[in-house]
Amino acid sequence: MTVPTKITINMKFFHTVLFLTLLVSILIGCNSEQPTDILKSDSPIDSTGALSGGDTTVFDASSHAFSTPAPNLSPTAFEKHLAGDREFEQAFVTAPAVVNPGLGPIYNNVTCINCHARDGRGRPPGVDEKFVSMLFRLSLPNTENEEAGKSPIPVPGYGTQLNNRAIYGTPAEGTVKIEYSEQPLTTADGTRVHLRYPNYTIIDAYHPLPQDVEVSPRVAPVVFGLGLLEAIPEKIILTYADENDVNGDGISGKPNYVWDVVQKRYALGRFGWKANQPTLLQQVASAYHDDMGVTTSLFPFENSTGQSQLKENSPIPEVSDEILDVVTFYVQTLAVPARRNVDDPQVMHGEQLFAQAQCASCHIPTLRTGILDGVPSVSNQTIHPFTDMLLHDMGPDLADNRPDFQANGSEWRTPPLWGIGLVRTVNGHTNFLHDGRARDLMEAILWHGGEAEKSREITLQMSETERDALIAFLESL
Amino acid sequence: MKFHKEVTTKNIWVLFCCLLLAFTFIIGCGDDDDPEPTDEAYDAASMLSNFANNVVLATYSELDSKAGDLLTAVKALEADTTQANLEKAQQAWVATRTPWEQSEAFLFGPVDTQGLDPALDSWPVDHVNLQSVLDSGDDLTVDYVVGLEDTQKGFHTIEFLLFREGDQRQADDITERELQYLVSSTMNLKDSTSQLRLAWAPEGENYSNTVASAGEEGNAHYRSQSAGVQEMVNGMIVIADEVANGKIADPYNEEDTTLVESQFSFNSISDFQDNIRGIQNVYMGKYKTDGQGLDEFVNGKNADLDSRFQSEVQTAIDTIGAIPDPFRDSITENRPAVQAAIDAVSKVQLTLEEDILPLVQASEFN
Repeated sequence: MTVPTKITINMKFFHTVLFLTLLVSILIGCNSEQPTDILKSDSPIDSTGALSGGDTTVFDASSHAFSTPAPNLSPTAFEKHLAGDREFEQAFVTAPAVVNPGLGPIYNNVTCINCHARDGRGRPPGVDEKFVSMLFRLSLPNTENEEAGKSPIPVPGYGTQLNNRAIYGTPAEGTVKIEYSEQPLTTADGTRVHLRYPNYTIIDAYHPLPQDVEVSPRVAPVVFGLGLLEAIPEKIILTYADENDVNGDGISGKPNYVWDVVQKRYALGRFGWKANQPTLLQQVASAYHDDMGVTTSLFPFENSTGQSQLKENSPIPEVSDEILDVVTFYVQTLAVPARRNVDDPQVMHGEQLFAQAQCASCHIPTLRTGILDGVPSVSNQTIHPFTDMLLHDMGPDLADNRPDFQANGSEWRTPPLWGIGLVRTVNGHTNFLHDGRARDLMEAILWHGGEAEKSREITLQMSETERDALIAFLESL
Repeated sequence: MKFHKEVTTKNIWVLFCCLLLAFTFIIGCGDDDDPEPTDEAYDAASMLSNFANNVVLATYSELDSKAGDLLTAVKALEADTTQANLEKAQQAWVATRTPWEQSEAFLFGPVDTQGLDPALDSWPVDHVNLQSVLDSGDDLTVDYVVGLEDTQKGFHTIEFLLFREGDQRQADDITERELQYLVSSTMNLKDSTSQLRLAWAPEGENYSNTVASAGEEGNAHYRSQSAGVQEMVNGMIVIADEVANGKIADPYNEEDTTLVESQFSFNSISDFQDNIRGIQNVYMGKYKTDGQGLDEFVNGKNADLDSRFQSEVQTAIDTIGAIPDPFRDSITENRPAVQAAIDAVSKVQLTLEEDILPLVQASEFN
């Protein structure tokens, strides 16, 4: 789906002309609420613009917004992307089989695309629904070695993830009961908002679980734009790090350093809710392994190794390096959807409020990528991901209390916000945060605590007009 | 460059219209401020409504109706397992397959967000697990089937139970357990098709209205008509790509019959044709009735493109149809015919990507 850049530039030109003309007409003509808000603001209008993914941006506000190849791929790269796309959709089945054997024996799902539907965002199951795009990480407390920075300690009989499904005749590890309790919250202007507090209980455990097991819920994150995030130079990310809050703004920003199984050394963590994966190759291989029970050269032993469910460890990986390579390339080269309505006065007002509420201190609007070997389409791009790729303490209410390498139990990586306004269109829901507890964007903001407590407070003080503008901005992303 | 020039001309038009609009604002304060529709802006409301109701919902209604016939046929087969009843069930499966394959030209919305596509059409079948289930003493109720993986239910599992090597399945060979599984998995399929129809129907969740009202105030899914029209075009692109580069090309390139879709029934060629007929339905705005489609929109902008695309789509359907049955054998024995089909579908895909989608993206909608 290649789109000539010419058109996109011209469209931007249209919008600019349209906006300026309207602004002029409004300034001369009428008094209405929105323009007054613009005039009140004394800061210059400096929109981040529509091109969220640089040259990988695609102008698409349909349900395909997350699943389109980057428009700047070469013909060869495009073919490789499509090959990866097909592998991403392959369903695995019980071995032996002619096509796609190797599922499980314990797993969370049978294909990448079921969790990352339309390369989009997962959600917790509704009432009477099965778990599809949400899973639970497990570990034991790190009591023997208090030093942070270690990989999570596996739970005997479970490993580090609850596999809630299994092939016939093999016990699944258990499942989870989710219960929510509603708690009200009141904004400064008296508006009542309800937040739902989740409670997770592992049920149907096939094997005794230790009392002190650490449980961390995760929904499947979006998978577009990831090559761009991988291409951000480490030294740029580290410029935003301020672990001891030297500048005194209440915001630290801490890099995670995690085990790189290929390099066999600690490396900057970039991917996952706690930035516990250093590369997309390792992210993809661990998803095959942890989520589907499918082995690769990076993780050659079944996820059931050491457990009663293990059938055998095949000497040949169930997914070849070639397939691993094209799937990695696929998630590296999915386009980022362009912003919509960037020149809308309400959206621009919201963008200013986003900065004023210090949201942009962690959700960094603009970054520049470096060079990602073998992926020129994502190299040297100016992008608007709205993340600093770093860990932040988000307070006790959001804490999973499960450390992951350098990330402690209340730290999470700032998730990118690009495309967040299209989740409803693509995935049919608006469940946000690591476990989908927030039912809309305002709830997601109001869950922010810890280092983001001040931003939450500022939001609570906003007028309805301002809150609407802030949401309009987020929905333009 | 020619294209660029056209757009530039349009810039002037848009600028002119903006100025006109601005003038209206200046002199028209306090009046009813409906902006004057510009010459350029296309009102896609009736096209979107026709697409949502008379193409998508109508196709899903047909699917649900045929799934009901399939269930009746499968129950009759269970009650009286004769070769004649098996053939009726096989015909009912093929008839149900037609609207489903046509609906693959619009795989978005509830079919996806409610997990119905994988539940209905997962591939490959998990034969080992299916056999384990059949060999077990488990009670094969519908609820039991619901709890199984998608790779053990839906069209292809039912196909596997009804067909072997095309029509070579013998009624006498079908076991009691297979019949029970067949009935339960067909009931499950019917539940899915009902759920899908209701998700789009006015008496259900009315997703038809979500699409039909794209760009209207309060529509949080489609904030512009443009997004709605793009949804239509993208759906066609995805299935054209899937047919050309996946469904036909994968088994053809690998010369591997195990990769062929609908391989037990030998229904592959009909599947592929129906996929392209789905494109035709969306483009022409025509299913049981003929309403406003993309053809009118494209024709208004570029009549040559419209007639070229219509002919490319028909050629693709015919070229696929010219592959000798079964497709499984033709990937090795009739390679030029298969290559011709790939080329014909690729042409459809290319026109969608390089001509029709850019036309939609460059157009102003109401």
